[in-house]
Amino acid sequence: MTNGSANQGGIVTRQYKSGSIIYFENDKSEYIYILKAGRVILTSIKLDTGEEVKEDVRHGEFFGVKSALGRYPREETAQTIGETTVLVLRLADFERLILKNVNVVRKMLRVFSNQLRKIHKMVRSALGEGDNVSPAQELFRIGEYYYHAGVYKQAMYAYKKYMEHYPDTEYAAQAMQRIKEINSGQVSPGSVNMDFSEPAVSPKGDSHDMSDFTLESEHEEAADFNGDVEDSKASISDEMDDFLSDDAGLGDLDDFSFDEPAGKKGTKSAEQKFAEADTLFKNNKLAEALQLYEDVLNSGQGTDDNILGRIYLGMGKCHGRLGQQKAAMENYSTIIKQYGSSPYVKNAFFEIAAMFESARQKDKAVLYYKKAATMPPRDAVSEQAMMKIKQLQ
Amino acid sequence: MILDDNFFEKFGVEYAPNEIIFCEFEPGNEFYFIQAGRVKIVKVINNREKTLDVLGTGDVFGEMSILEEEPRSATAIAMDRVKLLKFHRDNFDTLLQGNPQLAYKLLLIFSKRIYDAKRRLMILLLEEPQLKVMDVLIMLAEQDPHLDVQNEISLPVTAQQVASWAGMADTEVQKQLNHLNQIDKIVLYADRIVVRNIRDFQRMVTSRRKNMYS
Repeated sequence: MTNGSANQGGIVTRQYKSGSIIYFENDKSEYIYILKAGRVILTSIKLDTGEEVKEDVRHGEFFGVKSALGRYPREETAQTIGETTVLVLRLADFERLILKNVNVVRKMLRVFSNQLRKIHKMVRSALGEGDNVSPAQELFRIGEYYYHAGVYKQAMYAYKKYMEHYPDTEYAAQAMQRIKEINSGQVSPGSVNMDFSEPAVSPKGDSHDMSDFTLESEHEEAADFNGDVEDSKASISDEMDDFLSDDAGLGDLDDFSFDEPAGKKGTKSAEQKFAEADTLFKNNKLAEALQLYEDVLNSGQGTDDNILGRIYLGMGKCHGRLGQQKAAMENYSTIIKQYGSSPYVKNAFFEIAAMFESARQKDKAVLYYKKAATMPPRDAVSEQAMMKIKQLQ
Repeated sequence: MILDDNFFEKFGVEYAPNEIIFCEFEPGNEFYFIQAGRVKIVKVINNREKTLDVLGTGDVFGEMSILEEEPRSATAIAMDRVKLLKFHRDNFDTLLQGNPQLAYKLLLIFSKRIYDAKRRLMILLLEEPQLKVMDVLIMLAEQDPHLDVQNEISLPVTAQQVASWAGMADTEVQKQLNHLNQIDKIVLYADRIVVRNIRDFQRMVTSRRKNMYS
């Protein structure tokens, strides 16, 4: 390397002999380089396979940009082949230079954005999230999540966006149905009147986003909701609202309604899936069982409280056995809040009681076993609950 | 970044607390600069809503849609009354021409996002749960240049946040943390984790990573 000579303000020209290292991986530096003459090879290690990747820098191209800008260690080693000349810029020089040349920025942004996309893809695959997801289906699923969690405002947003972007796809009729339900306030038909006013019981004493073990009501959200839809969001969904107020339009949609046509066939195959899920659960294949319940939930086969109750009970038990108490509790309270007419409300109370029992919260356990025991009709679950109460007392 | 008032008139939008700005899987054509307020970025994973990040004034989000339409990868929700600048991809070029500062800022943001995403990927690619947990703590330590890693350090993180970074179940992470606590490598508090010797963790993770593919 020869001493640099000043050029264009702070920018310095440097010459390297063949085989010189301009920088090593993990070095920290604020220098950015432009290749002027000769060759520079960047060598890095691929994160997912450990294989070595070599990349040639083209003449006039920048290198060392990201790590200098982000102020993090170099991710590659830069080595010269043959006599090589580079321009060396400090961050301030680089900033001055590109402020005058927005096209360069645009090009870089394109490269960066592609890189980020690739990494996100690898992250998703490392997390086991499928790559072939259908955005339409997933958007509907998000709506369902918020709907069942009782956060109707967010659910409404997802359903409306679904209708706006994917009106001709699989769940359109269901999304419309949900929008109608939420608008009319008929979100949890036949819900049992429960006392949700208990103080939160949080065995771990943490979590700011959702309090553990809490059977908190979302009543506030629900109450706010009707007003909210009216005055906010108007912009997104003027179209949709017009659509909704148009009775003729709704008539058409009713033809798509899942209540009837999907009926027997859907129920039957849901039954089969339940049987399969039960077997998986018994064999302790919890993740698979959970997946199957979620499939039934997302498939739209859950057309009545009965099926939905059963799905959430199944999910709750899987979560519980997986040690995900909070999720289990949410599943059970969904049954109680949303599917009050389903026979699984009793099971939900029973399971909640069992969770309190294993958390050594005896009073709470007894309270919920009592709810299960006294709920008609008298059956095996009631008997079991009675026994538990006796044992605990 | 200073932008003049008529910029806000033209591109400004406001959201009420709890209002969704965009939803995961919705097609995205706009990106946002936060002028005031906080925005939380969440994802529904395994039927639970997880908070990935909380952004504040000066932050940018939705930047993946700058170049092409892509479904949103997470949901953005206003936490308080939020003031945003909202830019559509179509006027991106005009925006860049008129505001090279903003272009520079975007480069900085992308650089950082790429690094952060890669760093997280490195954690996820480790196989042993114990090392994953250690590497999350290492990553958090790296993010704070003021920490004195020669000594005991305190990281403001909960077990659940560690779990979310590591892509692991809360219970599994709790188990690993309890173990590290028992052998006095860390001290667990409700809202923070004290690491006795983070360089120890670094050595272990680095050596594992070196041998991963050989």
